[in-house]
Amino acid sequence: MSAAQMICTALLLGLFVLLAGCFGVLYCLGRLHADDKLGRAAAFAYLLQGITTVLLAMTALDFWWKALLLASFVAYLPIPPLTWRLLENLYKPGEQHS
Amino acid sequence: MIAEDPAFWRAGAISSTLVMLVVLGFLTVDSLATIRPGGANVPAYTVINKEIRYEFDVESNRYRPVIGAEQLLFGRNYSAQEAEETMRLGKLVIQSRNCMNCHTFFGNGAYYAPDLTKAWLDPAWQQMWMPMTQSSTREDAMAIFLMNPEKFPTWSRQMPNLNITRKEAEALVAYLKWMSAVETNGFPIHFGHIQTNR
Amino acid sequence: MFRSQQLALRYFAAAMTLFGIMIVAGLLASTHYVQDGFMLNKLDFSITKTLHIDTMIIWLLMGFIGAVYWFLPIELEREVEGIKLAEIMFWIFCAAVAVVAAVFIFVQYGPATEMSLWFINQGRKYVEAPRWAAIGITLVVLVFVYNVVATALKAKKITGIVGVLMVDLIPLFGLYLIAFPSITNMSEDQYWWWWLVHLWVEATWEILIGCIMALALMQLLGTNRRIVETWLYIEVALVLGTGILGLGHHYFWIGTPSYWLGIGGFFSALEPLPLLGMVVHAVYDAGTHRMKTTNKPAFFWVMAEAFGNFIGGGVFGFMMTLPQINLFTHGTQWTVSHGHFAFWGAYGCGIIAVIYLALQKARDAQQLDSTAWKWSFALLNLGMVGMVGALLVSGIAQAFYERAMGGSTLQAFMEAQTNVWFVQGIVMRLVFGLVFAVGYVILIVDLLAIGRKRVATENFKARAAGGPA
Repeated sequence: MSAAQMICTALLLGLFVLLAGCFGVLYCLGRLHADDKLGRAAAFAYLLQGITTVLLAMTALDFWWKALLLASFVAYLPIPPLTWRLLENLYKPGEQHS
Repeated sequence: MIAEDPAFWRAGAISSTLVMLVVLGFLTVDSLATIRPGGANVPAYTVINKEIRYEFDVESNRYRPVIGAEQLLFGRNYSAQEAEETMRLGKLVIQSRNCMNCHTFFGNGAYYAPDLTKAWLDPAWQQMWMPMTQSSTREDAMAIFLMNPEKFPTWSRQMPNLNITRKEAEALVAYLKWMSAVETNGFPIHFGHIQTNR
Repeated sequence: MFRSQQLALRYFAAAMTLFGIMIVAGLLASTHYVQDGFMLNKLDFSITKTLHIDTMIIWLLMGFIGAVYWFLPIELEREVEGIKLAEIMFWIFCAAVAVVAAVFIFVQYGPATEMSLWFINQGRKYVEAPRWAAIGITLVVLVFVYNVVATALKAKKITGIVGVLMVDLIPLFGLYLIAFPSITNMSEDQYWWWWLVHLWVEATWEILIGCIMALALMQLLGTNRRIVETWLYIEVALVLGTGILGLGHHYFWIGTPSYWLGIGGFFSALEPLPLLGMVVHAVYDAGTHRMKTTNKPAFFWVMAEAFGNFIGGGVFGFMMTLPQINLFTHGTQWTVSHGHFAFWGAYGCGIIAVIYLALQKARDAQQLDSTAWKWSFALLNLGMVGMVGALLVSGIAQAFYERAMGGSTLQAFMEAQTNVWFVQGIVMRLVFGLVFAVGYVILIVDLLAIGRKRVATENFKARAAGGPA
């Protein structure tokens, strides 16, 4: 890959994880405030992460790294809702304070 | 729900840790065999008696060290034992002078000064330092520079004088020559060749 | 207060002192970049940088040890076993650190002999301390391990958290032994060196801070034990599940077999996933408690920890971890950018949070708050983000000009170092380093004053009179 392609790819990789973080945070805020708008913002962040994944698929990275990125993109989706559900179940009412 | 049971996750923590450690153990045994001097990736110390180049290998699609014909170092041929002692001394120079906190070796260290992985192959020795030090060989230029870097600056950021003796300097040069022959999976990429496509 | 907790406060004071020395050394090292010839042959970059990174390792370690000494007696409901020995070791530790630093500054280096490694400098990054001091650190850690294990055995009580902590102490001690040997073969030297560096900071220390945070959350938010324990086990499973073979991301270019490119890159790419889970947990805690807490600074620093860890370690790490990219970014200011952010987010913020927690109890303050902590929080984090951003710019320039275009020779190195983008980044790093330093000074002022009865009483009187606090 050329020098410029390398820089762009690296920045896209960082953006990929950053958008995953935005998705996670917005999802949590949406659940906390029961706000649909935040939920939609979270979905938009995930969509942007998807676009980033497509852009990464167009870079000069080897095939298997692209496959890993796609698998990661899919894996990031359930993390916030599953973690949230786990936390809600752990913090069942009456058990909040020790 | 099983996911809320600490014992489930404790079992998960123990098993995932153990599995990963076992895999690491196996890979370590294999890696150590590969990186011992004379192993697949690391040449024996007597490689300092040979010419070393760094060339693109089409088959593996990366740059690789190439060991060539005999090339004396400081006008002598080192026996296996002499080479090992020289390497030992060279490594002690690197540690005692704290080189890793300005330079990098295989890219690890500090970034104030150049990476030394392929320093032996740097064109600057022939282009700049051999004339400056009035040396007839690359290794002489390197040794003279190392003993008194303040006398041979090449830009405004200078290497300090670390009281390196002639014997230490020669050992260090030999060490750098050996290091340049280590197979590093292509790092640094196209050493010594300037790319024109951005 | 238990004696162990009084010892903890001493460890925290020592940690914060070393943090200050770290910042001074960092500012000096930054100046080396900006001003050619700065203190050349008097106090070279290699010395200021060594002081900078070693004080960091020690202050974080002291923070961990202090945190455990603080929480352990509460957790096990008894005084720590062997506390007198621990108190002596603290002073020995401080003395050894002072001597090592003095030797680094005034002796600096010796001839290429084993004696130099025993008494002056071992010259391996992060573990430069001469062997005699390494023995001292080993003894301090051993006594610490004895304190924890003996107390748990005497208390006949090994809680989940204490159990994880005890197991984690095995690699904490064992891996440090790698600081001792001098291996001729650079490949083999670095193979083992990375076991120490990576398996400390990306495994052992992650678990250690996880244990400490578990104990802290129980105190800060009154979180139920079952919850923090479950969470801790999840963390251990995911962090070690990805981090142990994530070690391979240091084995791309040191002479090791090429299968490490695949293994290291793969596991390393998975490392951000558990960090996202930690961010979710942090937001959940913040939200469900509606940011209500009796200790605002501790709470905010815990939040900073979760986010800093994710962005500094996860985002910045991911940018450079795939081997095809790392080939260009390895050994550049890009690495420095990631390293600063990750260490700060993963550990610095967490230790500061624990210190605020301890101070609340030590000063018997019902509510811990002030104006100063907000300023220090803002300036320290702004300073850090600024430094990291500046270093990213320099790192991009270096990866582009030195590695990708220039062929990594001396000539290429010089061209990248003098490139206008690189220089601007390196100058701004110093500017934001100064911002960070101001934040540190305010932090210390706040830590010395916050929660003290006299200040609290005056605030109370002022509020009662209807004026501002």
